[in-house]
Amino acid sequence: MFIGFTLVLVLSCLVHLELTKVNVLNEVQANILWWEFRFPRLVSALVAGAGLSLSGLLMQNLFRNPMAGPYVLGINSGASLATALLMMGGFTFVSSNLGLVGSALLGAMLAATFMLFVSWRIQQTTSLLLVGLMFASFTGSIESVLQSWAAPEEVKQFFLWNMGSLQQLTAQQAPWLIAIFGVAVIWSLLLVKALNAFVLGQEQAFQLGVRIKTVRFSILAITAILAGSVTAYCGPIAFVGLAIPNLGRQLLRTQDHLHLILFCLFFGAFFLLACDVFSLLLEPYFSLPINVLTSLIGAPYIAYLVLRRS
Amino acid sequence: MIRFQHTEIGYHRPLLAIEDLHLQKGKVYALLGLNGSGKSTLLKTLAAQIPVLSGNLLINDFIVEELAQNANLRAQQIAFVSSRFEGVEHLSVADYVGLGRIPYASIFGKLTADDRQLVHDTLEKLGLSYLSEKRTLELSDGERQMVSLARAFVQDTPVLLLDEPASFLDFLNREQLLRTLIPWAMHTNRCVVLSSHDLDLCIEHDLPLLLLAQQKLNVVQGLSKRDVQQLLIEKA
Repeated sequence: MFIGFTLVLVLSCLVHLELTKVNVLNEVQANILWWEFRFPRLVSALVAGAGLSLSGLLMQNLFRNPMAGPYVLGINSGASLATALLMMGGFTFVSSNLGLVGSALLGAMLAATFMLFVSWRIQQTTSLLLVGLMFASFTGSIESVLQSWAAPEEVKQFFLWNMGSLQQLTAQQAPWLIAIFGVAVIWSLLLVKALNAFVLGQEQAFQLGVRIKTVRFSILAITAILAGSVTAYCGPIAFVGLAIPNLGRQLLRTQDHLHLILFCLFFGAFFLLACDVFSLLLEPYFSLPINVLTSLIGAPYIAYLVLRRS
Repeated sequence: MIRFQHTEIGYHRPLLAIEDLHLQKGKVYALLGLNGSGKSTLLKTLAAQIPVLSGNLLINDFIVEELAQNANLRAQQIAFVSSRFEGVEHLSVADYVGLGRIPYASIFGKLTADDRQLVHDTLEKLGLSYLSEKRTLELSDGERQMVSLARAFVQDTPVLLLDEPASFLDFLNREQLLRTLIPWAMHTNRCVVLSSHDLDLCIEHDLPLLLLAQQKLNVVQGLSKRDVQQLLIEKA
């Protein structure tokens, strides 16, 4: 099955590359276009899709709730708030890319750490999710306050970032994103056994010989790294982290996390790539932000899942 | 198999003290006590979830502190069916029972052919083969309890602890539970401790009883229901 997945993924990469091709006069220009535009956009789509899906899967496993995800637990919000502070808080080094990425990563880390502390105090999953949602709406209102202060140019810049885009990554940043992603994938593959046991709840997992605290910390760290870096480079992208793992469980009908991780990596990458191909096809007529597309497909699917459940 | 030596047990505060007690292999012990007498605390201590306050506790010759430290070793010595299994979406019975092999599995948790054979044989022995492909969410209460037992059997540990395994079962399933457990413990040399409120059932099967009352733990066997009740109330 995974051979099939790989083929589909490679094919969609080729389609994506075909669509981003532009007629240019000479080799030098083509080269520049490849490194500055086509390659980073492809990498963004693949890594953001796979990374967000994987972090969603891990969150859902940790909190034993299929509706959990980096978005719901406030990790994206942390990144978003930090970026808002940087862009509209009167800091002048906004234009520096490093500042943007660093602040989003820091925000995601802080939010994840905050949720980790909260999860030590609150054992109940539902309460934890509520804290996450409150945190998201709190950061949202701070962002609104900032917007009413900031200069129109800054508001516009933040607004664009907040819509999510696969075109912000630069060629210099791409290797970093790939490296971070690789570390997170390997780390989560090492957790497969524990993730399978966590399905039964942490008490049963303890009885099966899982080191609960280590695994809990690892899951939160991986999620923060993945969601934080993806959000930094591409803006907050909604519903991918929530929808893809659910789709995986539904299609594969399993709780074996080795298969689920592989599914999330392949299908998450494919899904975001397909969304981007779609927006590239529409580009001659009008331009759709990537967030709009993922929400258009993701939100109804999640609503369907919730309805089917109750 | 389980040996207490001047063991003081409790959750932060001392709840009971056991001078010298040895629970043997091959037997099923029934832990009886009024609500709040500390049955769960005792079971959790035996499961190395709660540390002993003082004294020694040996489980299959391992000091309990060592088992608390070494997660994998612990899971190879003690199986604990601690709470009611509610079922998990998309998890089949065979996969659920197979999770009992996690303490022995390689890094990706893949079951070997031997593991799968053990799961198959265990389900067959318990008369549960027909459930094997069923989803755990679709089971009845009785089926879920039996399937949890299968998972604990598959974990293949010398010590098996069960926290009120009989409480959601009808009388037929309770009978079946004990008729499965007692010969299993005897033939494979396991030590089983189960907590229960069903005095009749325990006496009917002539189980050795662990009476938990007035911060003491006593082993009795062959007493009448009246006598046991007297012991539990009098001392409280």
